[in-house]
Amino acid sequence: MADDLSLDLFDDGGDPDTEPGRDVEADSSDVEEGLASGSALREPKVWSVQQVNKAVRGLLESSVEPLWVGGEIGNWTRSRAGHCYFTLKDERAQLRAVMWAREAARLPIDPDEGTTVRVHGTLTLYEARGDMQFTVRRLEVEGGDGLWRKAFEKLKARLEVEGLLDPARKRPLPRYPGCIGVVTSPTGAALHDIRSVLARRAPWARVVLAGARVQGDGAAAEIAAAIERLAASGLPDVMIVGRGGGSIEDLWAFNEESVARAIAASPVPVVSAVGHEVDVTISDLVADVRSPTPSAAAEAVVPDAVVLLGLLARAPERLGRALRRTAARPRVEVRERLSRLARSIERRLAPARQTLDMGAVRLERRMATLVAARRARAQALTGRLEALSPLSTLGRGYAVARAEDGSVLRSVADFEPGRRFRLRVEDGTVEAQTIETETLDAGRHDDD
Amino acid sequence: MTDEATKGTTLEGRLARLEEILARMESDEVALEEALKLFEEGVAHVREAEKVLSETELRVEELLASGETRALGGDET
Repeated sequence: MADDLSLDLFDDGGDPDTEPGRDVEADSSDVEEGLASGSALREPKVWSVQQVNKAVRGLLESSVEPLWVGGEIGNWTRSRAGHCYFTLKDERAQLRAVMWAREAARLPIDPDEGTTVRVHGTLTLYEARGDMQFTVRRLEVEGGDGLWRKAFEKLKARLEVEGLLDPARKRPLPRYPGCIGVVTSPTGAALHDIRSVLARRAPWARVVLAGARVQGDGAAAEIAAAIERLAASGLPDVMIVGRGGGSIEDLWAFNEESVARAIAASPVPVVSAVGHEVDVTISDLVADVRSPTPSAAAEAVVPDAVVLLGLLARAPERLGRALRRTAARPRVEVRERLSRLARSIERRLAPARQTLDMGAVRLERRMATLVAARRARAQALTGRLEALSPLSTLGRGYAVARAEDGSVLRSVADFEPGRRFRLRVEDGTVEAQTIETETLDAGRHDDD
Repeated sequence: MTDEATKGTTLEGRLARLEEILARMESDEVALEEALKLFEEGVAHVREAEKVLSETELRVEELLASGETRALGGDET
């Protein structure tokens, strides 16, 4: 080890960063020459601190393979940039460690002080301080899902305080959704399963997919955005959010706060469908209904077709019966007509699907007939009323003669020759004067 | 957006209303005028719902970032 170190230190042009595995054997003759020339002056070679640290770093990185180290977490700090610095320790020793933001981002939550962990990574030297440092690529908490469990419990507790997990918040699913929103991967098995179930059970339905990656970095944000996009579209009556089964790490997006909040904020009920039979996800807890698989979710959102068609088939008959019953109460004349109407409708609206349409058309016709009959009656009444009006009589060609004082002139005796009078006809008055009069036989009417 | 975007003309809206009408006509003392209206409305809902339910092929669309949808092919079952 000591020899190797000196080799690097004397090689000024060497860069341990870029040539960590350099073949030291090949350089040994040069180095010996260097030592020889140095010793000729009898002055000790003075190394800069920088040189030393750089050399040690190169040594560490080139000679120590990646390894697992077990210990307890101490002084965990996460920087603004997301890098995590901590100490690994046991009873006798400490080792500085760093987990860069890229890797640290995969941690569901920061580990607590004193948590027993094992970390995988490489040894290096932080040159600026001369500290040996372990660069962590992967961090695992003993007991497998430890960190995931902790993150889950923490978020769950927070959402619980806010009331988002309250069973009273759960909304009933619409019974007959026309449009079903789906948030999942466009290429996943979940979509395939949902499509098959809906095609079989509710072929009339419309499915609107908002695609999102359901695992990996950024999946939670995509899922939350897809839920929001669907909600904003106003299209779905209900939403399915989920994916097929996987490990807790694969399913993690469904345990993220952003997804939970998007589900809670959805204006339409949400069915969670995360294919994980054993554990429940935060999404499951916040959703209005939890399904164990995407297929089960699809079955939960659409009605049983038999029940639905049964309702529809029986509806006209039920309507008709109810109407007849109501019609049996009021006035006799109307009752007769309505009960005949209802019977005929009932007869024609046979429960069979094919005849429903025709029946409804006939029904409309019957209703139109009824309305027409009522209108005709109303018109007859109006006609009779009009017959009593003097204006209507004038309309038929009669006229009324009035004296200048307004009195009506009824008899030949009233019309002295040369008398001026006024005739009221339908649309105005006429000034007139008597020229000649003739009295007719009594009892005879002056018809046109 | 589609014509179905208006609530009340959705399948859900129609069937829910139909059930409401049936319940009202079958239980309450409804005035004749209202019963007639309900009857007419109920039958219209049955007719429209039948039309919707006679669809035999599931429509699958994808919601685009623009808020529009486009038919999603493949994965026929």
